[in-house]
Amino acid sequence: MTRRDALPVNRVVPALSLAAAAAWLALASVSVAPNRIVPGTAYAASELLGWPLAGVACLPLLGLAALAWRPHRGRLRLALALNLLLLMALPAWVALAGALRLDPDQPQARLGLGPAVWLLLFCLVLLTIELRTRLALPAWSGWLLPVPILGAWVLAAPWLGSLALWQEYRGRSGQFAEALLDHLLLVGSAVGASLVLGAAIALAMRRDARLERLGFTLLNFLQTIPSLALFGLLLAPLAWLSARLDWLAALGVSGIGWAPAFLALLGYSLLPMVRNTFVALAEVDPGVLESARGMGMGPGQVFWQVRLPLALPVVLEGVRITTVQAIGLTAVAALIGAGGLGTFIFQGLGQAAMDLVLLGALPILAMALVADALLGALTRRLDHRTALRQGVTP
Amino acid sequence: MSDRAPTAAVRLAAWRGPLVWLALLLALAFGMPTLEPVLRGIESDTRQVVYAQAGLPSLLANHLLVVGVASLLAVALGVGAAVLVTRPAGRDFLPLVAQFASMGQTFPPVAVLALAVPVLGFGTWPIIVALLLYGLLPIVRNTLAGLEGIDPGVQEAARGMGMGGAQRLWQVELPLAAPVILAGIRTSVTVNIATAALGATVGASNLGAPIISGIVNGNTAYVLQGAVLIGLLALTVDSAFARLTPARG
Repeated sequence: MTRRDALPVNRVVPALSLAAAAAWLALASVSVAPNRIVPGTAYAASELLGWPLAGVACLPLLGLAALAWRPHRGRLRLALALNLLLLMALPAWVALAGALRLDPDQPQARLGLGPAVWLLLFCLVLLTIELRTRLALPAWSGWLLPVPILGAWVLAAPWLGSLALWQEYRGRSGQFAEALLDHLLLVGSAVGASLVLGAAIALAMRRDARLERLGFTLLNFLQTIPSLALFGLLLAPLAWLSARLDWLAALGVSGIGWAPAFLALLGYSLLPMVRNTFVALAEVDPGVLESARGMGMGPGQVFWQVRLPLALPVVLEGVRITTVQAIGLTAVAALIGAGGLGTFIFQGLGQAAMDLVLLGALPILAMALVADALLGALTRRLDHRTALRQGVTP
Repeated sequence: MSDRAPTAAVRLAAWRGPLVWLALLLALAFGMPTLEPVLRGIESDTRQVVYAQAGLPSLLANHLLVVGVASLLAVALGVGAAVLVTRPAGRDFLPLVAQFASMGQTFPPVAVLALAVPVLGFGTWPIIVALLLYGLLPIVRNTLAGLEGIDPGVQEAARGMGMGGAQRLWQVELPLAAPVILAGIRTSVTVNIATAALGATVGASNLGAPIISGIVNGNTAYVLQGAVLIGLLALTVDSAFARLTPARG
């Protein structure tokens, strides 16, 4: 048995910082390739700096472990600051490694990020989350903390010109903007349409119990079908329809492209949307509705002024789930020619050009995280407000 | 527990849904060549209408193997990790693991698969690892929710009865958390079946292969075969899980 009154020892931060130090010493930081086709040569920190210097560079990580071993607030704050500095030093390290190994006479040379850099980034981000939780920092700090880190990458950009990811981007910046826009449009229109349609279905379900069972069975069924299969299954009927109906063809509907992607996205989005809207409307406190009626409100007034505002946070939760899901599914839609950032992923996989894959995958990941955080924050805000209006302390 | 042990026939009848899907799946996987006239009607111009690069049964077996191995490993590791961080010895790690598991749910599976390839390379093992990593998250999250959601009074009662830590885990905590854990495994497996199909784009030969090949070559009949079989596989597995999970409400 451990003694409960002993000063708690935090083992999370030391474990993560030691893992980061091990990755730094053992794995390749960067790889250098003379051009896009030839596979690169990988260099670990010890090969770039020599063992003594690489070892010295580990000291901040060990310091982090030491600071958090016997945690109290002051030391943890210091650890968070150190951790942020390390995250900001990462782009400088990549730039330095490039300067050490890249031949200035070879403008085609490309610098790839090695596993050590990715693992360091991963460990340091986990450390940030851990320290933030331990310090119980307010929610807005989650928006503030990434700013200096992104700033450091932007500041280091002039020296990162040979970064392979950057070169891939520079080669197709126009395509990238277009793909980003396509992706956002497809997600936005699918989520928007499913919100309207989902609300209508949820309202209809509230009137008819049989419709409710049937609706949920159908939507659950649809949700189980893997996305690739659903995109494929829509191919044939849409191609058939557009071949027979001129006005559909004029709209640009065909077996491939945005039409099957939009329909499939809409289908997947309906289940979370309908479920949340239905539950939200059903779970409004009957006492509140009763008192609204008692105040002389008509059925329409009760719905628009009481039921809907109270249900809004749960509806928004549905929008959040739907949006995050749609961002990922739209990436798959690139396979049926719907455009979007998935195009780069599948092109890159086809050409075995991994940096092109990253050019598609990283923005999708970022988009999903930002959408999740934004809509989550909005939901909490509304929840808070509703709770206040109901006279309940949150 | 029900008051009378159900007969074998009754027990089998309860599995009617999954069995019907399974029968349909196997019939189509093995009998696709006999459907050639039907497929010919859909795609009359192309010479080949039944996907023949590899037999459909072997593609199905590959798909099941990849998803099965990844899911079993994910269950073992995910439940193990969640149990570990809810024990006194591992509690330090609980906030981080819980936060990461819920944040990881927002990562799109395609992006995870795409990011795994540069690190792990092409082939079957990288896909298994990618599916395993992604499949871990819902299992960890649900196991944590299940274990943390147990009424403290029940825990106290078990302790009062003189149960040790291991006994409490096996006889009280895990059985009580089982429905929530099972729901997590169901999500994980469903997502894995869909993501494994995408593995065909990185060279895996599974049920995604006919779809990709059909899209690339403009052969709708190929697409249809792959799509119907994946759909049936997903429905078979999902309906089996629906049977295992006690009905809600």
